[in-house]
Amino acid sequence: MQLPANNHRLNPISFLESWFASGVQIFGHTIILLFATTKLILTGKIDWREVSRQSYMIGVKSFAVVGITALFTGFAMSLQIARELVLFGADTSIGGVVSLALIREIGPITAGVTLAGRVGSAIAAELTTMNITEQIDALEVMRIDPVEFLVVPRYLAGLFMMPVLSIYAMSIGLIAGINIAHSAANLPMATFLDSVKQTILDRDFTVHFIKAFINATIVIMFSCSIGLSTRGGAEDVGIATTRAIVWTMTMIFVFNYIVTALTYAPR
Amino acid sequence: MSSIAPQPVTRHPEPIIKVVDLKKSFSEREVLKGVSFEVFAGETLGIIGPSGCGKSTILRLLCGLLQPDGGQIIKTSDNIGLVFQSSALLNSLTVRQNLALPLRLQHLSRKEQERRIQEGLKLVGLAEYIDSYPSQLSGGQQKRTSFARAIVGNPKIILYDEPTTGLDPVMSTIIEDYMIQLEAQLHAASIVVTHQYSTWTRTADRVVMLHAGKVVWEGKPPEAEGSNNPYIRQFAHATREGPMLSNSV
Repeated sequence: MQLPANNHRLNPISFLESWFASGVQIFGHTIILLFATTKLILTGKIDWREVSRQSYMIGVKSFAVVGITALFTGFAMSLQIARELVLFGADTSIGGVVSLALIREIGPITAGVTLAGRVGSAIAAELTTMNITEQIDALEVMRIDPVEFLVVPRYLAGLFMMPVLSIYAMSIGLIAGINIAHSAANLPMATFLDSVKQTILDRDFTVHFIKAFINATIVIMFSCSIGLSTRGGAEDVGIATTRAIVWTMTMIFVFNYIVTALTYAPR
Repeated sequence: MSSIAPQPVTRHPEPIIKVVDLKKSFSEREVLKGVSFEVFAGETLGIIGPSGCGKSTILRLLCGLLQPDGGQIIKTSDNIGLVFQSSALLNSLTVRQNLALPLRLQHLSRKEQERRIQEGLKLVGLAEYIDSYPSQLSGGQQKRTSFARAIVGNPKIILYDEPTTGLDPVMSTIIEDYMIQLEAQLHAASIVVTHQYSTWTRTADRVVMLHAGKVVWEGKPPEAEGSNNPYIRQFAHATREGPMLSNSV
C-alpha cells in the first residue's frame, strides 16, 4: 500500500511535538503582544475615533447574535432547572438558581463564545489578509506601529463592550427564565425576582465583570496575535481564522474555570 | 512651500543611498551575495533582473522591513515612500484616510494635511475619488492612489516595487510618466525594481542588473542593447540564448 506523501504527519510523536511547539509559539506571541498593547495604552497612544468605530463593529453589531444565543440558552437551562426544582417542591427557588447560573457562568461564557465566533474570526481573517497583501508592511514603511494602529483600538473596544454584552446576555437569559418559570411552573414574576434578589451577591457581579474583561483580552489578543503572525496565501486566511476560533474558545473555557475555582471553590 | 512643487536641481555630492556588499539569506538560500550601488538625489536607479534574483528583497532591506545578514546600508533620510507591487492600500480606509497615513508623524495642521492630500490626488488625476474606498477603484486607480500616498509625505527616497506589473500598456505608460514627472518635481533619490522593458528604459537614469544575487551589469539604459555583457544582452533582447536559465530550459 502506498502511503501519502506527507506520511510523517501520521507519526503521533512528531504531530504532538509540532502541535506543542506551535501552541507555545502562539501563546508566547500573544503574551508579548498583550504587554506591548498595555504599554501603548498606558502611554496614552490611543486613537479614540478608531476605538469608537471598533466598539460599534465589535459590540453594537454583536447585540443581535448574543441576544438570540442568550435567549435560547436561557430557555433550555431554565426549563431543565424548573423541571427538577418543581419535582422537589422548591419552585420558589427557580429564580435564584437560574440567575446564579446566568451571572456566574452562562452570561460571560455566552457573550465570550459568541464574540469569539463573530469577532475573533473576523479580526484574524482581516489582519492575515492585511499581512498577505502587504498592508502591514505599508504601515511599517510609513513608520506607523501596527500594534498602536490596529491592536490598541480593538483591545480597548473589546474591554468596553464585553462587560456590556455579558450583562446584556445575562439579562436576556433572565427574561427567558421568567418566561419559562411562568409557563412551565406557573411561577409569578414577582416570586421569581424576589428569589433572584435574595440569592445574588455583590461579589457575583465583581466576578462577572472580571470574567468579561478576561474574555475580551482572550478574544482580541489571540485573534490579533494569530492574524499578525500569519503569512502566506489565501489558504492561510482560513487556517488563521480556524486557529483563532479554536484558541479563543478553548482559552475562554479554561480561564472561566480558573476564575470560578479561585473565587467560588469551598475552603 | 508646496510639498510636491519642483525642487531646485543640484547634484548632491554625497549619495542619498549607499549600499555596500549587501548580503541576505532566507534559510539555506542565499538571495543577495554582496550587492553594492549608490543613488544620488534627483536620480532614478533601475534594478532589473529575472524573477527571484533578489530585486524586491533589496527594497525591503532599504525600507527596514528586513534586516541584512551582512554589508551596510547608508541612508541620509528615513523619510521613504514605497509604491508596493500590490498597491497595499488599507481597505478599511478611504482614499483620503490612506493618504493621511504618511502625514500622521509630521504634525501638520488639518488644513495643510488636506491641502497635501488634494495636491497628491490632483497629480495622479484622482481628485474626485477622495472619499472612495480602495475596493471601489480599478487596479490602475489603486496603483495611482498608492503613488499619491508614497509622495504625499514629501519623501527624500522613493522606492517602486514592480510599479507597472499587471497593468495594461496604456496604464503602464501613464505610471511611467508619473515617475518621470515626480523625479523632476521632488528631486528625490528613486529606485525602481522592475523587469518591464519600457519601465526601466524610460524611467531609469542608471541601471544595475542582478543575477543569482550579484550585480552582473551596470550602465545607462541606452547602453543595454548594444552591450557585450551576455546577461544584459539576453535580458534586453528577451532571448533564450544566454547564461540565464541555460540549465533549466
